Amino acid sequence: MTNTPNGKAADLPTKISVKDLRFFYASHLALKSINVPLYTNKVTALIGPSGCGKSTLLRVLNRMYDLYPRQRAEGEVLLDGENILDQKQDLNLLRARVGMVFQKPTPFPMSIYDNIAFGIKLYEKLPKSELDGRVENALRGAAIWDEVRDKLSASGLSLSGGQQQRLCIARTVAIHPEVILFDEPCSALDPISTAKVEELIDELKEKYTIAIVTHNMQQAARVSEYTAFMYLGELVEFAPTTQIFTAPENPRTQNYITGRFG
Amino acid sequence: MTDHTVRSYDIELEALGRKIAEMGGIAEKMLSDAMDSLATHDSNLARSTVASDLRLDILQREIEEQAIMTIARRQPFAADLREIVAAIRISGDLERVGDLAKNIAKRALKLGAETRMQRAIVGLKSMHETAAMLLKDALDAYAMRDAERARQVWTNDVELDALEDSVFRDLLTFMMEDPRNISFCAHLLFVSKNIERIGDHSTNIAETVVYLVTGEVLPMDRPKGPSPASDLPQISK
Repeated sequence: MTNTPNGKAADLPTKISVKDLRFFYASHLALKSINVPLYTNKVTALIGPSGCGKSTLLRVLNRMYDLYPRQRAEGEVLLDGENILDQKQDLNLLRARVGMVFQKPTPFPMSIYDNIAFGIKLYEKLPKSELDGRVENALRGAAIWDEVRDKLSASGLSLSGGQQQRLCIARTVAIHPEVILFDEPCSALDPISTAKVEELIDELKEKYTIAIVTHNMQQAARVSEYTAFMYLGELVEFAPTTQIFTAPENPRTQNYITGRFG
Repeated sequence: MTDHTVRSYDIELEALGRKIAEMGGIAEKMLSDAMDSLATHDSNLARSTVASDLRLDILQREIEEQAIMTIARRQPFAADLREIVAAIRISGDLERVGDLAKNIAKRALKLGAETRMQRAIVGLKSMHETAAMLLKDALDAYAMRDAERARQVWTNDVELDALEDSVFRDLLTFMMEDPRNISFCAHLLFVSKNIERIGDHSTNIAETVVYLVTGEVLPMDRPKGPSPASDLPQISK
């Protein structure tokens, strides 16, 4: 097997296990036989220069790529041991179990309340009182409740960028996922909003397994327990974050994180 | 290693390395001058040794300030992070080596014209040679980024410990032979302790070099010689 996470795989419960994954944009091979685990209730950071395949990998984990033609994945992505690449996989169910937060906040053009309730209603039919409770819990879980409790009927678009991003996180946690994928969740946010989202990620990992793509190396070092460094569609190194950022084994990892690339 | 994309980052790290090299040179010279002043009763040399400690202190401050600024500005990772941590640690050790050499020089001044027992100084001379070698090897290992050489220093310090043990017995014996030796020998006991501490700082530097080069932290239990308190010569009745 190529691309094993160079012997650093820990003996931990694994939520998602990526095995020999190859990904194609039409005929272009974007991921070359990736093997990487996402450990249960841990934060795993995916880092690497633009075009290295980290976002592609993230998009495979909930089959987001299925929305686009001519994109396909080969190999295995085991979620609790089941291969989600299987054609029989129910995609709605998968995306409920594996939620995603994007780079730019994407609130729906509706009220703050409905932004949260919308997703819940897709999956469950709840009485109004119970739905209210779920919305509140989700907003609390995303550390934004105190800021929006008095204006739940205001438009989601009226919030600041940082608040919108936390609203999107609330929308994600509202449907009780098991895994949350973050694709550069803070790159459009100011430092304080970034700090709030990072704090939130730290709390969320108690309940969820998390993968985060980030260009901000300090952020990867702060929020994650494991880090995977990718380059040109390959997984170069996967190791505990403390090791990646103090003494990485691979010279390419070292060159990238110390700003010597190219 | 290739250069950083940001050129000024390289310049900052190189400046740190140069300052460590300068500190190393000063510390080595202070140690050898202090021991010479002790053996030859050269009080001018002793005084200039004491004076050069100031430069060492200034350099250490500069290294620390620069390291802190680099951490704040660049958020260093991996080899860069280890480079900066190493500079802070090694400059601290070298500053202490300077203090210890200064102590030896001060003691040389205090001894003044007191009669020197050359045979009592012989043991200290070989301690000095060993310590100077450890320090030099540790500094060379730093300059060459040579983890293997650093490991050697780490294990070789046990020789210095053994020498200290034997100097300790010799000095006790001289004091027992003739109480008029006590004052001089007591001073030399302190000197031997100072040299032994310089060996320890050299070992620290060596440990830091191993960390700098490999990222590996050496185990806590370094090989140790016998404790000087063991097996003392007995006062005959």
